[in-house]
Formats: sequence, C-alpha cells, structure tokens
Amino acid sequence: MSRQASRLDAKKVNSEFLTLTYGALVTQMLRDFENAEDVNKQLERIGYNMGMRLIEDFLARTSAPRCLEMRETADRIQQAFRIYLNIQPTISNWSPASDEFSLVFDSNPLTEFVELPPDLTNLRYSAILSGCIRGALEMVQLEVQCWFVQDQLKGDNVTELRVKFVRRLEEVIPAGED
Amino acid sequence: MAFCIAVIGKDNAPLYLTTSDMEQELELQYHVNAALDVVEEKCLIGKGAPESKELYLGLLYSTENHKIYGFVTNTRVKFIVVIDSSNVALRENEVRAIFRNLHLLYTDAICNPFYIPGESLTSKKFDRAVQKLMSGTA
Repeated sequence: MSRQASRLDAKKVNSEFLTLTYGALVTQMLRDFENAEDVNKQLERIGYNMGMRLIEDFLARTSAPRCLEMRETADRIQQAFRIYLNIQPTISNWSPASDEFSLVFDSNPLTEFVELPPDLTNLRYSAILSGCIRGALEMVQLEVQCWFVQDQLKGDNVTELRVKFVRRLEEVIPAGED
Repeated sequence: MAFCIAVIGKDNAPLYLTTSDMEQELELQYHVNAALDVVEEKCLIGKGAPESKELYLGLLYSTENHKIYGFVTNTRVKFIVVIDSSNVALRENEVRAIFRNLHLLYTDAICNPFYIPGESLTSKKFDRAVQKLMSGTA
C-alpha cells in the first residue's frame, strides 16, 4: 500500500492534511446548513473567493501573458492545478467552436478517503474547484461556466470538470473617469 | 482462508463483523466475544511493563475447530481474526500481515469525513477490501 511506503514524505503528509481539513469543512457545513444544495453554493463561493486571490499569485509566479484563445487558457488552468494541487488533469472534449472543454482528473486529492453516504447524491463535494476556476478567470475578464460532468465519488471512472466560455468582460471604467 | 474478521471499538462495541460462512456466523460471533476477555487480560498484563510497541497480541486461544488471533491499536480498537485450525497455510507471519493490512484499511475508513468515530463501519469500500483480504487475494 502506498500509504505506508510514503508515510514520511512531507508532501504526502501535507496532502493528507488538506484532505482531512477539507473533509471536516464540508461535513461541518452539511451539519450547519442541513441542505446539500446550500452547501454546494457555499463551497462554490469559497472557491470563487480563493480563485480571485490565487490568480494574482499565479500570474506573479508564472509571468504568463494574456491568453488569446481558450486553448491557451485551458493550458494555464492545467498548469495551475499542477502548481497548487500537484495533479495534472488532461484537457479533452473540445466543442467544435472551441469555447468549451473538459478537465479530466484521474485522481482528486480532495476526495482521497471520501465515500459519499447514499442520501447525499446531490452534494458536489469538490465544488470548491469549479468555484476557483470561475473566480480566477473572472479576474482576467473571462466569464465562464464551470460544472461537474462526472465524479469519482458518484461511481464514475474519472472526475470530469466542464468549462464553458460565456463572454469577455469589458473593462469597467468607473463613472466620471472618461 | 480466514474465517471471520471483526473490528471492535474501544468500549467493546462491535463496529464491523464479517464471516466467510454465513451458517456459522453465530458461533463465530461467540468466539469473538469470548476473545475480548482474553484481549483485556493481555492488555492489563502489558500495563505493568514499559509500554510495548507491539500491537499484535498473537494467538488468543484456540478451540477444536478454530484459532483466534487478536490485535489492539493504540486507540484501543480491537481486531479479531478467527481461522480454521486445520488451515496450515496461515502461519504467524501471514496472520500478522492480515492484521497489518486490516489496520491500514481501518485507518483509511476512519479518514472518511462522513464516518463518525465510534459508529459501526458501513463503508462499502472497507467491506470490499476486507472481503478481498479474507479470500486471500490481497
């Protein structure tokens, strides 16, 4: 078993710490809200707030230039997952118009030990990820929709996150500063 | 291979029990319950001596048909394994390995945020893995 072999690996320990912390957060929220839909919304919002801040850090670290099309954006998102979660999703299922793609995860550190109880099938456990993507892209003037298509917690083979481009946000110039 | 695997909580409440032969389930449960007394005794003896690191308790007792082995984690959760005494394939080392794997499986199951410590283990993942362990393919 991999756990025992890597028991002293500092990176692994940190990832387990993250997994347990996130699990505790989700279960506590479920207890507080008593409604999976509300928890989904809150997790998404937490992710959104994290994304808004993380993008700044990401741009500073990678000094990435502005993306000209969605394919570049997809690569950046993939890179961000590698930096922050040390996982590499594969990008696939592009729509013909190139405005919609899927991030496919073979493994998800957030759900490592998790087994969803049968009465919580509408809970989107990893909703923080989709919120994060949405928040980060909004800060670079891209409005996207982001949702789960498949989830390993619900018995699928992989976790698939779909990202759809909605529109470019125009720079909002404060009134009176023309 | 193994006949029966049981996980018992620290206050001796059964958390999980599975047998490979449903017909003998009741009898095997008796054996597991009886073994708890032996476990307690062994733990008491261990208290006087400097804290031993050994979690494996070895053979607890044997009957005509069965051998009962025990293992106690540091959090006082007990694992009991009952095997057929005619089974010669399972030696000390193999039993030890079963307990080690069981301990890891239990740790993983406990890490599930939806599991409340002290409740019975209903996790399907855990059950599947233990069944696999019992049939000897693990």
